[in-house]
Amino acid sequence: MIVGIEFYTLLATGAVIYWLIPKQIIRNYFLSAASIAFISYFDKYSAIIAVILILYSYMFAVLIEKNKGKRIFHRLGITGLVILLVIFKYLGFLNEVLSSLDNFISSLPVFKIEFVLLPLGISYIIFKHISYLTDVYWGINNKGRFADFLLYSSLFTIYIAGPIERFSRFKIESGRENKFSGVFIEESFKRIVFGLFKKFVVADWLGFFIAPVWENPGNYPAGIKILALFGYSIQIYLDFSAYSDIAIGASRLYGFKIMENFDYPYLKSNIAQFWRSWHISLSDWIRDYLFFPLSPVFKNKTWQIFFVPLIAMGLCGLWHGPAMHFVYWGLCHGFAIFIYQVWVIIKRKNPALNQMSGTKWFNAAGTLFTFVYVSFCWIFFR
Amino acid sequence: MEEKLIEFIKNEFLSDPGTEITAESKLISSGIVDSFSLFSLQAYIEREFGKKIPPPLITAESFDTVKQMIEIINRY
Repeated sequence: MIVGIEFYTLLATGAVIYWLIPKQIIRNYFLSAASIAFISYFDKYSAIIAVILILYSYMFAVLIEKNKGKRIFHRLGITGLVILLVIFKYLGFLNEVLSSLDNFISSLPVFKIEFVLLPLGISYIIFKHISYLTDVYWGINNKGRFADFLLYSSLFTIYIAGPIERFSRFKIESGRENKFSGVFIEESFKRIVFGLFKKFVVADWLGFFIAPVWENPGNYPAGIKILALFGYSIQIYLDFSAYSDIAIGASRLYGFKIMENFDYPYLKSNIAQFWRSWHISLSDWIRDYLFFPLSPVFKNKTWQIFFVPLIAMGLCGLWHGPAMHFVYWGLCHGFAIFIYQVWVIIKRKNPALNQMSGTKWFNAAGTLFTFVYVSFCWIFFR
Repeated sequence: MEEKLIEFIKNEFLSDPGTEITAESKLISSGIVDSFSLFSLQAYIEREFGKKIPPPLITAESFDTVKQMIEIINRY
């Protein structure tokens, strides 16, 4: 959708009308309506779900902000969102898991779930709403104006491929009276062209060469397979980051500065730094709404540093798609984070090791090792 | 509060607790406090000062120095 002609038609025509509207709040309503129409153009049902979710989450934000029983309303609101995500995205997956269990335990009743619904952008909008409700509950931001929340939830430039922007940041962008500037067109154009170049010229070209190796690995020697593995690492980075470039650039045309989502992740010297630079909006979300809340659940420090990354990253994998191979990919990263935390503890107790880990050579080796490990994990992802 | 926080950070995160740290020292952005270690800092603040700081505020931008930490703790 983000590279289709419909996207750019709306982007250009929408921007002309948007900047002709004198007041920002009316612009926000206009852009929200255009965004919902855009989603509806591809799938009416997805647009209806989006509107229901927007009303649902805003209603819960109002209830949380009233303060009486805020904890209960927060829990209820989040539970509802998680249930909806499970119903829409993971029913088919649960059916598969239950069926595979059924092969082993024949006495279990057979579960049959015949319908699988997958509204467009459901993972993004639900993650955005979980952060929104939780931030209102934590007092980080208030519920905000409905016009800002509506646009935050529906903005077509970031609806399908993120970034998972936070409302606390977005409402500043959509809340101020923006004045049109030629800089918006210039910055937007450059960023979109850069994204399209990365996607269609470099990533797809690279994909063209490595796809045969991934399809028939048995036909190729080990050296070529390793090159194809590293090639896929580069391709997936260029692909994902290109979508973010386009989303950020397209949003800029409307005067919005959306958060950056990638920061040269393959140049980082350990897995923790990698996750602070890869799909930043998702990794920040995982950190704030899974890692932190999960940590106190495990009182024992060893269990905490082992289980929390595994659970959080396993769920992060599942967020990418309803299939076990995504879970394995997440667990692969969770395990690396566990090992990294053990390493940090060992390093702290050993000043000589700590000093050595700060050297250029050590960091270079760390960067290479992290890249190789992350590349290995992509095997599960693909 | 400042002394207690500095003491905790020295003992918990530094390989050499004798290292000098001030209220202005950058802790997260400089790598002294690792992002995965921030849970124990959050837990310590809750235990010691009775304030639970929301995770989105515990970042390199808003929670980097002891001075910033105190500002946020006082706000909550």
